[in-house]
Formats: sequence, C-alpha cells, structure tokens
Amino acid sequence: MEYLFTIWILVTLNFLLPRAMPGDPFLYMSADEGQEVARFSEEQRQYYLEYYGLDRPVAGQYLSYMSDLLRGNLGYSLYYNEPVSTIILRRLPWTTFLVIAAVLLSTVFGTILGSISAWYREKWPDKFLFFCLILLSEVPAFLLGLVLLFTFAAGLGLFPLSGAITHFANYSSWWERLFDILHHAFLPVMALTIARLGGMYLLSRNSMTTVLEKDYLRTAWAKGLPKKRIIFRHALRNAMLPIVTRVFLSLGSLVGGAILVENVFAYPGLGHLMREAVMVHDYPLVQGIFLVVTICVLLANFLADLVYKKLDPRISDYSGIHGG
Amino acid sequence: MTADQYLLEIKNLSITYHAVHPPVKAVDGVSLQLRKGESLGIIGESGCGKSTLALGIMGLIKQGIVEGEIIYKGQNLVGLPEKRLRNYRWKDMAMVFQNSLEVLNPVLSIGEQIGEPLRAHYNLSPMEIDQKVVKLLEMAGLEPEWRHYYPHQLSGGMRQRVLLAMALSCDPELLIVDEPTTSLDPASKNEVLQLLQKLQKKLGFAMILISHDLGAVKKLTSRVMTLYCGRVVESGITSEVLKNPMHCYTRGLLNSSPNFFRYKDLWGIGGEPPLGGSIEGCAFYPRCCQGEESCSQTRPPLRYVALERMVACHKGGIETFLRAEGIRKKYILKDREIEAVKGVSLEIKSGEVVALVGESGSGKSTLAHILAGVLPAGAGQVFFKNKKVEGRWATKMLGGMQIIFQDPFSATSHRMKVLEVVREPLDIIKWGSKEEREAEAIKALQKVQLPVSPEFLNRYCYALSGGQRQRLAIARALVTKPKLLIADEVTSMLDPSTQANLLRELKGLQNRHGFAMLYITHDLHLARKIADKVYVMYRGEIVEAGVSFEIFENPEHVYTKRLLREAFRDLV
Repeated sequence: MEYLFTIWILVTLNFLLPRAMPGDPFLYMSADEGQEVARFSEEQRQYYLEYYGLDRPVAGQYLSYMSDLLRGNLGYSLYYNEPVSTIILRRLPWTTFLVIAAVLLSTVFGTILGSISAWYREKWPDKFLFFCLILLSEVPAFLLGLVLLFTFAAGLGLFPLSGAITHFANYSSWWERLFDILHHAFLPVMALTIARLGGMYLLSRNSMTTVLEKDYLRTAWAKGLPKKRIIFRHALRNAMLPIVTRVFLSLGSLVGGAILVENVFAYPGLGHLMREAVMVHDYPLVQGIFLVVTICVLLANFLADLVYKKLDPRISDYSGIHGG
Repeated sequence: MTADQYLLEIKNLSITYHAVHPPVKAVDGVSLQLRKGESLGIIGESGCGKSTLALGIMGLIKQGIVEGEIIYKGQNLVGLPEKRLRNYRWKDMAMVFQNSLEVLNPVLSIGEQIGEPLRAHYNLSPMEIDQKVVKLLEMAGLEPEWRHYYPHQLSGGMRQRVLLAMALSCDPELLIVDEPTTSLDPASKNEVLQLLQKLQKKLGFAMILISHDLGAVKKLTSRVMTLYCGRVVESGITSEVLKNPMHCYTRGLLNSSPNFFRYKDLWGIGGEPPLGGSIEGCAFYPRCCQGEESCSQTRPPLRYVALERMVACHKGGIETFLRAEGIRKKYILKDREIEAVKGVSLEIKSGEVVALVGESGSGKSTLAHILAGVLPAGAGQVFFKNKKVEGRWATKMLGGMQIIFQDPFSATSHRMKVLEVVREPLDIIKWGSKEEREAEAIKALQKVQLPVSPEFLNRYCYALSGGQRQRLAIARALVTKPKLLIADEVTSMLDPSTQANLLRELKGLQNRHGFAMLYITHDLHLARKIADKVYVMYRGEIVEAGVSFEIFENPEHVYTKRLLREAFRDLV
C-alpha cells in the first residue's frame, strides 16, 4: 500500500518535471546536431503540438498520461520515433547487468576486506587496507572509468573501447557470446565496483568491529565454538545487517553512477539513453526512463524489506513478548 | 590437602588491562581453591574485578595480560593456545553470563544457541541436539517451544533461564555464574536462585557465584570471598562471614545491603575505589574507618585470623575496642546483698553500635559504669584496645572512651558556664591552647545542635532545659573525639527530631571514622534502627547476644521474645 502511494507520487512528479524544464522538443527534432535553427514553420509546429497532445491543458495531459501508464503504454518517443517501452526494454538489461554485477562484486569484496580489517584492527593489515581503500573511495566513478579506459582499453588494448557487444559478430557457441559480453562489460563494471568498494569496505569494517565487541561474541568464544562458526555464523551474520540495508538503499545512487560510467564507455544502457533523451528534450522517453528507474529502486527497497526480515528476526516481529 | 584434589586452583592470578592508560590491574594476586561440587561466592562492589576474574578463568581476556596460574584438574590454563583452551570451554567450565539483551546473539534462535556447543564438542546429529535442547529447556523450567524463538522475544527472567540452560548444555564440572539476579523482579529472582540450587544438587557441578547480592550469595554458597580493587580482602565460610565480617570492607557491604538489616538505615561505604594503577599499601585504606598512616605503606597479606577465616588487614581485621570478661558487681544494701551484674562478658568492635537492652533494674547502668572505669568491678576485667582499663587512662585521652550518664543534671555542674562544661575534658588533659580548646568545644556544641552565640556560651547550666542539659552532656563527651562512647539512655530527654539528628551524626562518625558506641536503652525501636549487635540483659546476666538482624528477627531466649513482643506490640 505504501509502495503504491509512493509510486503515484513519483509518477506525478515524473509527469510534471520535464514540462517545467526550459526548451522545446521540436527545436531539436528539426535541428541538425549542434545547430539550433528552427526549420519548422509555425503551422507545422502547431500541427505537431496537436499531434502529440501538447496543446491540451496540463490536467488533460496528466489524465491521459496516467491512463496510458495503466495500460503499460509509456508513450512514443519524439526523437527515435519508436514506442518508449520498446527502447527502454532494449536498453534496460545492459544497465541492470552492470549495476547488479557491480553491487555483487563491491559488496562481496568490500565485506571480505572490511572483515579482515576489523579482525586485525589496528594491526598492519588493517592499516594498509584502510589507507588504500580510503584513497580509492575518494575517486569518482566516471574519472575512474576514464583512467581505466585510457590505460587498459586505449593504451594496452586489452579491452574494447566501447559498446556492450561486438557488432555483427557470429558466435560459434553461447559461451563465446558470453565471453564477448563479459569482455565488454569488464571495465565499466570495474569502474563502478572500485568506486563503491571504499564505501562498502568502511561500512563493513565498522559494522564488523562493532559486532566483534558485542557480548554475544564473547558468549560464542566462551562456548568453545570453532573459529569458523564464530566468524561466519555469529559475527558476519550480524555485521551483514547494515551492509544489506546499504546495498539496497544505494541502488538509486548507483544508477546515477552507471549513467556517467555508461557515457564514458559508450555502453548502451539506460544511462547512455537518458543523456541522449535529455539533450533532445524527448519528454516521453525521459519520463519513461525515470519511471523505470524509480520503479526499479522501489522494487529494490521492497526486496530489502523482505531480505531484512529474513536476516533479522527482530524486524519481522513487533508483537514479540517484551518483559522486564 | 594435596593440589590435585582441587578441581580448580588459582595461584596468584593477576590480570592487567593495558589498553588504557595507566594500565589497570583489575585482578591483583588472587588465589583460590575449589573442590568438586563446592560453591564459592565472590562479592564486592561493581568494578572490583569480579567479572574480570570470571572471564580470566574462562580464558576470555582479550586486551589484557594474565599472570599467575589457573590450574584446572592439574593443567595450568594460563598461556595455553586458543585451540587447546577451546576444549575446556563449556565442556569443563561453562559460564552463565550477566543477563543483558546483547549476551545472546539476536539473529540466532534460542535452540540453535543452546545446541551449538553440543555440535562443536560432541558432534551430535541435529536430531540428538534437538532432543537435548528440549531436555535442557525443561530442566531450566522453560517450555521446549521456546527454542524456536529469538532472544528479543524473551523476558529478562526467561533469558536468565536460557543462559542457564545454555551453560549446562555440555554438563560442565565448573559453572561460573555472573550476577544471576540483577534486573530480575523478586519473584523470578527467587525462582532463578532456587533453580540454581536445585540444579547444583542434581548435577553436582562446582560453582563460582559472582554477585553483589549478598542474599543470593548467602543462599547458594558455602564459602565466600570479598574482592576489593582486584584483591581478596576477606575469605571464609559464607554464613560466618556474613554474620560476623572481620574486614571493614565486608562489613561496609553488609551495611549497604537492605536484605540483612531490615530496619537499620542504609549506609554505603564512603569514598570511591581508587582508579587503576597499582596501589602501594592497603587498597582500602582511603575508605577504611580504622585506617592509619602506616596502612598506606605496605600491602597487607591475606592471613588467617580465625578458623577458616582469612583477612587482609594490617590490624588483623576490624579492631576490638572494648572487651569485658566475667564482670561481676554486688551492692550491699543494709542486710541484703544484691548481685547487679553476674559475670558479663562483652565485646565492642571498631565502628559498631552495640545496643544493650533490658528492662529497668537489669543492671545495665551498673555494667556501663564498670566498663567506663567509673565503678570498680567486683570481679572480671575490662580491656580497651587490648589494654586493661585501670584508673582513668582510657577516658583521659583524645580518641579514648567516654561515658554519658543517664542523668544530665548530675552529669553537668549547674554552677559552670556552657562553654566551660564542654571545654573541661580538654582542660583536664591540658590539650592545646585555651583558644583551640574553645574552638573544639564550639564544634562539639554545633554537632548536638546547640546554639553557639556568646550569650548562650556564657549561660550557666542551671538556666538550661533538660533537653539542653542532655545535649550539653553529649557535647562534653564528644569534645575529646572518643573512639568509644558509652551512652546510657542519652536520648531519653530529647525530642524526636533532635534525637534523630544526633543519632545520624553519631552514625556518620561511626561509618567514617570507625566510632563505636555502646548504646544502653530500653527503647527497642531505636535499638533496632541503629544497632549492629545486641546484648540482652536480664537480672544481671546477658541472656542473648548476637547480630541485630538475627536477634530482632529470631529471638531465642524466652526473655528476649517477651521483651520484643512487649516493645513492638504497638506496631502490630
């Protein structure tokens, strides 16, 4: 219920925001790249406005926008002349792939490194890791992307410069295709992962340090349990709670990071598409992208709630017996 | 007794936390022995090192240095690698941790937490573990269903039972129980204590009970140890120590415990424990009521002062101020011979208020006069600080003995001025200059709430009221700062408020400076309120003597019973 309400608010904002932006889509439709000279006559402009329904009062536009949405119709791109949903569906998997890969990698490595640091707190492994990762975490994702692009792709030629897949290639098997995809995705994913690693590391180091000091960990040691069980079942299990929250909550900002990185690597994801759509004031497309991204983030939050309830019995149970 | 008969023997154990500056020696040279099935209580204020000692035995000190020996079944555990220590934990020695929400893992079910040591140590199958967990929960008085729940769903009392069930999962031979009753309501507290008692009887484990709840310690342990600043200051048989503590610190703990002296006021131990660092002399010296300069020089060793009783004190424990042996006194009236006191022995220790109760004519006043050396005894001897009382030496000194007589009119000369009366004892011993003596006299007057205006100081005693005369007599006694005051019905003429204030003043002196008092009264309400020890006198004999909480709770002698019944009738 809460989620539905949130979605409604977001959709409405999504409708209003592009209309509040300065500029005129038809200016871009009719202009050559780099030029801003209108070639449409006033009659043609009027015709298009009417054709796209942009001359109707805002309330009317809003109603039809909403009813279209309910039918899954995201409108028609002004620039690409294709249904928005088709364009987005084509691009969405690439971004999803980037983001999920980066989240997984940064979380796994961040947690491992953070736990190592916490375990050897104030000793040399901790000091070394802390120094390196603080340094890394200060570099923004797109800059990191540029550096990676110049050294590994342009300089060393180890990775392709752009795109998500080799165009017009014929693959002899599915794994060859997979390899090509991974090959293309490697640098963008690395850029995103490394940019996020510092934050994850600090969080897990902190979380793990706190947990290691807890009374229940002392209890676990006292029980003479094997070290492995103490670390994984008792410590990590608790240390994961804030990490999981952070992962899901940061998905939104990660999409932001993905937009920049995709542009650096000319990776055909939603981010790349969004930049193009914004540049040409393609309202329906921009709205469509926003909508899909927000729904994805909300979905992630919803998922976070579910996972959190599984991980922490205290959350799912407000009706527990609380005694003095 | 050879060493291998002990289940656990600790020799000169010290634990220093070095992560803080200066390093804190939380446990300082503690030695103890524990036989199979025996139970030992460890008492002391918070921060005295009780919990550190427990963690030290379990080998759980993370940021500290452990020195000394912890010998469990002949094997020294200190310095053993974690891997080998792991085999002892829970299987041989387990611990019931102090109850808190965080002591159990919040994300694991109760059942898993109780059962996991079984898997770790005995490699049981999940089925077997579950069966054992059910048994353990039942044993701890919880329904087996609770194993599927999580710690936050339990009440404090249930959590305590879970902790107990968890500790007993591997049938340990030694159970360390840390504050099992804190934060529990009285009902669950009693239940948990009974459960511990029952389980110990049934399973036969040895137990170290760490608690500041002396009631729990009294109930569950046979021997007790008082810890102060990480050092053992007293050890002995629990019932004896709690009845008759021989170290000022243990006595202070008792005086702070409402469950022992029900009617007495609570008096905490003044001052605060020293902060960390190693202390040269006696650690308790700054707070001790009988401390002397010399106490701060060297550290007192723990020595036997009585059978099964060890005390670490330069003075051999709480000092005895007054000891009377076989006091007899006959009065001859015309042809009749009245035996007023028939062979009375008594003892007054430093910092004690001893009430001498009995009806009028039982010989109380006569005894008081003999004790103070005012009347010669027919037979028997009186010692003040182990020196025989002869003549007036004990009353003629600062910090000696003073007596306040029952009748203030004959005790203070009506022809003298107020200031002179109070100053007189100092004049007699020629203490200081006249000005100093007057200053002391004025202080003494303030203590008894008499005015100190020049007009009042120069008033003649005959112009004072009965209550004022009585207070004046008390001021006169206090001016020499006596260590022992024999007060014969001194507050009988005071109004309740003045009486309360005066008694609180005297109690304060008692707790701070080890001032002792023999309080002779027939007002049992008052005696019950202030006395530590009670002597009941009847027809010239002491018919019952003991700790006040025992006498007032469970009088044994017929006369005492009658006396108490009469006295407290108006209450019931």
